[in-house]
Amino acid sequence: MSGQEAPGAPAEEPRARVSVARWAADLAMGGRFAVTGGRESWARTIMTAVGVGLGVALLLLASSVPTMYQQRNERGDARSALSFGDEVKPGPDTLRLANAGTTYRDQDINGMVMAPDGKGTPPVPPGIDRIPAAGEMWVSPALKDLLGSDEGKLLRDRFPYRTIGVIGDSGLSGPAELTYYAGISQKAFGHVNSQYHIDHWGTEKQGKDEPLDPALLLLIIVGCVVLLLPVLIFIATAARFGGERRDRRLAALRLVGADIHMTRRIAAGESLFGSLLGLAVGTGLFLLAREIIGSIEIWDISFFTSDIVPSAPLALVIAAAVPASAVVVTLIALRGIAIEPLGVVRNAKPKRRRLWWRLLLPLLGMALLLPLAGGFGAGSGGGNMKAYQAAAGAVLLLIGITALLPWVVEAVVERFGGRGSVPWQLATRRLQLSSGTASRAVSGITVAVAGAIALQMLFASVGAQDREDTGQDPNRAQLIANVPVSDGDQARDAFARYRATKGVRDLLGVTEDYVSDVRHSKDDPTSVPEEAITVADCPTLREVVRITSCRNGDVFLVDSPSYYGEEGGFAKPGAQVNLAYRDDRTPDLRQKKLWTIPRSATKVKPRQDPTGSERTGIFATPGAFDIADLPDPGASAMIRLDPKVPDGVEYVRNTSAALSPAMDVMRLTSTSQSDEFQVIRKALFIGATATLLLIGASMIVTTLEQLRERKRLLSVLVAFGTRRTTLSWSVLWQTAVPVVLGLALSIAGGLALGVMLLKMVGQPLAVDWTGLGTMTGVGGGVILLVTLVSLPPLWRMMRPEGLRTE
Amino acid sequence: MTPTGSLLIATSLHKTYGHTPALDGADFSIHPGEVVAVMGPSGSGKSTLLHCLAGIVKPDSGSVHYNGRELTAMSDTERSGLRRGEFGFVFQFGQLVPELSCVENVALPLRLNGTKRKEAETRASAWMERLEVADVAHKRPGEVSGGQGQRVAVARSLVTGPRVLFADEPTGALDSLNGERVMELLTEAARESRTAVVLVTHEARVAAYSDREVVVRDGKARDMAGVR
Repeated sequence: MSGQEAPGAPAEEPRARVSVARWAADLAMGGRFAVTGGRESWARTIMTAVGVGLGVALLLLASSVPTMYQQRNERGDARSALSFGDEVKPGPDTLRLANAGTTYRDQDINGMVMAPDGKGTPPVPPGIDRIPAAGEMWVSPALKDLLGSDEGKLLRDRFPYRTIGVIGDSGLSGPAELTYYAGISQKAFGHVNSQYHIDHWGTEKQGKDEPLDPALLLLIIVGCVVLLLPVLIFIATAARFGGERRDRRLAALRLVGADIHMTRRIAAGESLFGSLLGLAVGTGLFLLAREIIGSIEIWDISFFTSDIVPSAPLALVIAAAVPASAVVVTLIALRGIAIEPLGVVRNAKPKRRRLWWRLLLPLLGMALLLPLAGGFGAGSGGGNMKAYQAAAGAVLLLIGITALLPWVVEAVVERFGGRGSVPWQLATRRLQLSSGTASRAVSGITVAVAGAIALQMLFASVGAQDREDTGQDPNRAQLIANVPVSDGDQARDAFARYRATKGVRDLLGVTEDYVSDVRHSKDDPTSVPEEAITVADCPTLREVVRITSCRNGDVFLVDSPSYYGEEGGFAKPGAQVNLAYRDDRTPDLRQKKLWTIPRSATKVKPRQDPTGSERTGIFATPGAFDIADLPDPGASAMIRLDPKVPDGVEYVRNTSAALSPAMDVMRLTSTSQSDEFQVIRKALFIGATATLLLIGASMIVTTLEQLRERKRLLSVLVAFGTRRTTLSWSVLWQTAVPVVLGLALSIAGGLALGVMLLKMVGQPLAVDWTGLGTMTGVGGGVILLVTLVSLPPLWRMMRPEGLRTE
Repeated sequence: MTPTGSLLIATSLHKTYGHTPALDGADFSIHPGEVVAVMGPSGSGKSTLLHCLAGIVKPDSGSVHYNGRELTAMSDTERSGLRRGEFGFVFQFGQLVPELSCVENVALPLRLNGTKRKEAETRASAWMERLEVADVAHKRPGEVSGGQGQRVAVARSLVTGPRVLFADEPTGALDSLNGERVMELLTEAARESRTAVVLVTHEARVAAYSDREVVVRDGKARDMAGVR
């Protein structure tokens, strides 16, 4: 009798006082129906359990994020070598340290080289038993694996140390972290640029935690809403799986004497059982996901399985809210139908959806967000009230979009009429008859896409500001290495070794130091004017100053900025300069070492070198100045790589490591953007895609359920010769119409929220068309996926066997 | 009745579902414009015979000739085309598409054959008029009575001008008054358009509208022409 005309709304029976025992008995009976109806019942219960379980697993993972980061940060703090106090002087119990991180084929490797300052007991970093002696190293498990693999063959040359052990979990931020602690001699520290001493590991928290950057806080709030709201919607959809069949079963119960309230309680019991099973499935999936997360690394971030623990209060909320919401959703769904003893009577003409309260929600959201314009800009305090207001505004706006969707779908499909092809007619008529199911399934997509679009806008705008022009020119040189040298010979030697490195096509090597003014023989050496002196061959000098001709033996001068006084710098043709420096890097005024700038020296203009820097002072060719005369030179090698040699940069890094254990090579890039923004953008995209797939899964289940309900009708359609393609297209349209409408609404809502967010952080308005296109594309992909997955069962159900009744 | 001049002839049909034989050497024939009632107890194989005759189900063995063509040798697409163009169907229940209006339901076979919507609905309206259900044309199946729904289904089965109409317990879900009216209209319309009707029923009252009866028992069909 399903689908029969309602003879009028059946009169509700007066609500009798129902004892707790009655409630419990009815709920338990519902629970029994969830499993005792044979394969059909189990299939429905399992579908609900898996659906709810997927949502619960995601919620549990989300609730574990705070713990994951807390644990990670605590370990990071415990092994930090930064100290906020006075500089530590070397002593018997101190450790000399230098950062020796490197990069291998886009994988960052953290590392430190160290040597005890005395014979005492220097502090040992977490995760290892003792300080490595010179030539020894501790490695993380991931680095050990990498070094032992074929993939890491080239990397092995960079670590001339004997591995003495593996760093324990307490010394790692995550299981996939590549890190090492290597021991080097005190003498080897002579070739290390930046070094310091420590007397303990770990940073103590300085008072209260720094408040989060307000813009970041806003991102987190909206991000959570965007990713979790669809999950909640999905759980609500999953709780309604198999609803039509259940309603018919309840009608049979009415026939044997169950009253309306009883049937509702039984239905609630059935949902409750499914959702409780879903909680169990979700916990299982979460535990499985935990193991998987513990073994993978995404964008250099990995977590130990033991870090992934849901926050207790949040876990409790999930455990209570999921079954409760399943029951509430079921009871709400039952409101629209009357289960009569002879069948289920759906209200023939469902009430027209009202627009006013659906519009009210997003408008209220906007009203909350508008006053916050500029309130989350840099430097503005991110007060708690503001954060709550922003969160409430974003949630209302996004929920408002989902509330608007059923109205929009209904209003649009109503206008379709009966025109179009048969598949189109079948699909639109189906939607006209019950657009609610389709809208519910799509509403999750709407929130995810709207939120993702808004956040992409925010990222694109903030990211564009964050993306800085570095001034570097990767066309002129691709790498730069600042080589620690103690004299000119070492610089020459380093350049020669780089030149001989595989993959290096050319090298611009500059050796630099300072000279001081001899005319100021004051007692205070710190006030003596100084000028830079750069020694390089002619091809290199052409890259750092504007010169038309150059021969070995030439000297060029570039005026320093005017802070030396009106007469400019002291470095002029024929002028004498002092090359002598004391150990504390101040000019030695007592034992001067003089050099006269040749009178032939010509004044030239500076030129930005490939790193984007402009140099001033004296520029000499090796024929005019012997770099052996420089007391404490610095050497920079700007390297041009041969693009035909793969891994050229890795060979250069290996050469650098051989020159100095703590030296890294920097890649030149024309723009730079902080990694965090790129990571968050990718994470958001992945999250939104995962959510869309989840919604896609629920749409597949809904479509399959609809098809199963219509098994006999499909067989009849086949009997009078309906083509497979006709029905396939009708399934496609039936999915596509609500999804397209949902996407249109989410684009509008997403853009509105995006504009609000940008106004709040005080950024210029910009639409991330690529992000918008991608998200829309993913939405379209979901339509196709749902249709494709629905086709095999559709075709299976289109067999004439469905006509058999015996 | 001999198969000479028959429109549809089935010979020695065998069909088994799992281990249960549904047809065990059934023969059948029907002439243009003839109404043949296929009778028999529940589970005797009447519906299976109808499905085999209509090319919905392929028999395990035996042959079905329609207008000189062997149905069992046809591909699924060819059989589907035949069902769309030359056969009509009425079933006991669950046959109208609930989301389409009654007139759209009746027009559906025409539209599946490529007829334009307007023309299809005009022809559908004419048939609905003839079957006395014009007043429910724009209602949905869920909004009409069982008898009206069945008459809509008959209109749909005849709208393409089929040469054979297959009716499987067409009045099974109706009361006697409604059932008789449906049968009157169905047979009247079929005879006028010289449509052969294969009428599966277990009710003698319904079978009375036929020209000839075939009884199916244990998967075998026996022509009752001489018995009657």
